[in-house]
Amino acid sequence: MTSSTDLAAQPAPAGPVDAPSPPVPAPPRRGASPRPRAPFRPHHLFFYLLLGVVALSSVSAYAWVFNVSMKTNAEFISSPPWQVADGWRWENYANAWDRANIGLFFGNSVVVSVASTAIGVVLAVFAAYPLARITFRFSGLVLGAFLLGLMIPWMVTFAPLYLIMQDLGLLDSRIGLVLVYATYNLPFNVFVLVGFMKTLPYELEEAAAMDGAGPTRTFLSVILPLMGPGLASVAIISFLQNWNEFFYALLLIHTPEKMPLPLGLFQLGQAADYGTNWATLFAGMMITVTPVLLGFALLQKHITKGLTAGALKG
Amino acid sequence: MHKAAQRRIIIPFLIPALALLGVFFLYPLVKTVDLSLNEFSRTGTMRFVGLDQYRLLAGDPDFFNSLKNTFLITLIGSGMLFPPAMAIAWALSQRIHGERFFRFVVFAPVVLSVAVVSLMWKFLYHPTLGLINPALKSMGLGALAKTWLGDPATALAAVTFVSVWHGIGIWIVLLCAGFERLPTDVLQAARIDGAGEWRVFRSIMLPMMRDLLRMLAILWVVQSLQSFAFVYILTGGGPFGSTDTVGTLMYRIAFDRADFGYAAAIGVVLVAVMLAAAKILDKVMKRDDLQY
Repeated sequence: MTSSTDLAAQPAPAGPVDAPSPPVPAPPRRGASPRPRAPFRPHHLFFYLLLGVVALSSVSAYAWVFNVSMKTNAEFISSPPWQVADGWRWENYANAWDRANIGLFFGNSVVVSVASTAIGVVLAVFAAYPLARITFRFSGLVLGAFLLGLMIPWMVTFAPLYLIMQDLGLLDSRIGLVLVYATYNLPFNVFVLVGFMKTLPYELEEAAAMDGAGPTRTFLSVILPLMGPGLASVAIISFLQNWNEFFYALLLIHTPEKMPLPLGLFQLGQAADYGTNWATLFAGMMITVTPVLLGFALLQKHITKGLTAGALKG
Repeated sequence: MHKAAQRRIIIPFLIPALALLGVFFLYPLVKTVDLSLNEFSRTGTMRFVGLDQYRLLAGDPDFFNSLKNTFLITLIGSGMLFPPAMAIAWALSQRIHGERFFRFVVFAPVVLSVAVVSLMWKFLYHPTLGLINPALKSMGLGALAKTWLGDPATALAAVTFVSVWHGIGIWIVLLCAGFERLPTDVLQAARIDGAGEWRVFRSIMLPMMRDLLRMLAILWVVQSLQSFAFVYILTGGGPFGSTDTVGTLMYRIAFDRADFGYAAAIGVVLVAVMLAAAKILDKVMKRDDLQY
């Protein structure tokens, strides 16, 4: 119990440090006035304690990974886990990047995530337009087919998917992975974009038609420019999912040179069980995690909103 | 009329997305049912056997073990997830100091890859090189130190904990939204009447968030019945099958035994179990609407 008092003290100094943050133009909070802090009340102590424990555990896990990534393998085995590393061994990162192929995995992940996100978002916005704005006979059925993807667990179909990919010659290919990821993003993207498009006024199309614009042109130059926020949040969520995806990569990619980061790291982790290359593995973990955390720090509002929407219909 | 012109774009706009969906999702979905009616030999030839695979499944101890573990994960996980998530969401909805920092820390694991999180925890749990056992020892709680992932008694709970740690942020954000939607005048009235904060939480907030909680419970069940990646990376189903889930069993049967038909049958049963569980939970947790 000695530690819990430490933890309780932890957030108190942390609070004032980050709470005001006036120099950074705070992300647009709805309503002009920032929400006032509640005056301290006794039960808040319980909240600080609770949040302090959670924060401390997460931060220390991250700090531990960073610390190990700065150790040598011998140091990792012989020294107590929280002992600070002897020096800054950035060469672990260089080793991870070059010799352990993290650089290669990173490149694969960037290419696969960007391509699949782009395909998934573009196809979804085209599909969403008729589903949201035009009444036609099978629209309910088509929308239902997309939404089925939100309800049925995708993992269930992996056996036939594997066989299909084999038949198409897309097994162990990055193109195959891109297509699967893009498909995997579609249901959520279509769902969100249809909802978003339905909020736009219907006079838009009528006015454009009056001015003599065809439907394709209306879509491209009237509707699409209004979709900015919706597209942004859909794209961010898709990218995040594709960047982190593990199961399909495991299923479809077998050659190390083609692996995206999560799978490549998993592979390294397996090797570390038998070998002794922990420092490199931990450096690899840092390389994987840090850009995502930085991105999250910048885009937190978008990401929480989008993921929330995703969970609500998942 | 522009309505008629609009109709011409329906098909070209829809086709590309539908083609992808069809090839990589809808067709495999139908094919799953078809595969489950066939037997695969090691050489990859298939033979139609009707419902034989399902009959086999009904007497397969491995399958029932994995089903039991999957339900245990769902159950243990809901205990690990909902009380802390509720408490943290309640805390975050109080506009305390450092709210933004806490929101970031609590939600950050959600954006990390399951693979990295699992790998990290695999080391944190490591009996000698990890962080948890030495930390327990230094606090004088050495008796609590365990070979977390190597002991059938703790492995399942340890794996469940990692998946809760990773995903709890989403549930907290959803619960926060629930707290923010509570009518402040009702809460204020209760406080003026002299109700303590805990009383307000228990007698007003909880009942009013019932519908949200029901939905989140269903979501949790649907999600945890599909547990795969955490288990696969942390323990691979071991030790002694104590963490084997339906997902890992399915994967192993498909790739170690090359028995795609049997794996597909498990998949079909999994979907059926999931739909049934969601339905039952919905029924059980449904109450008459609260009037206020």
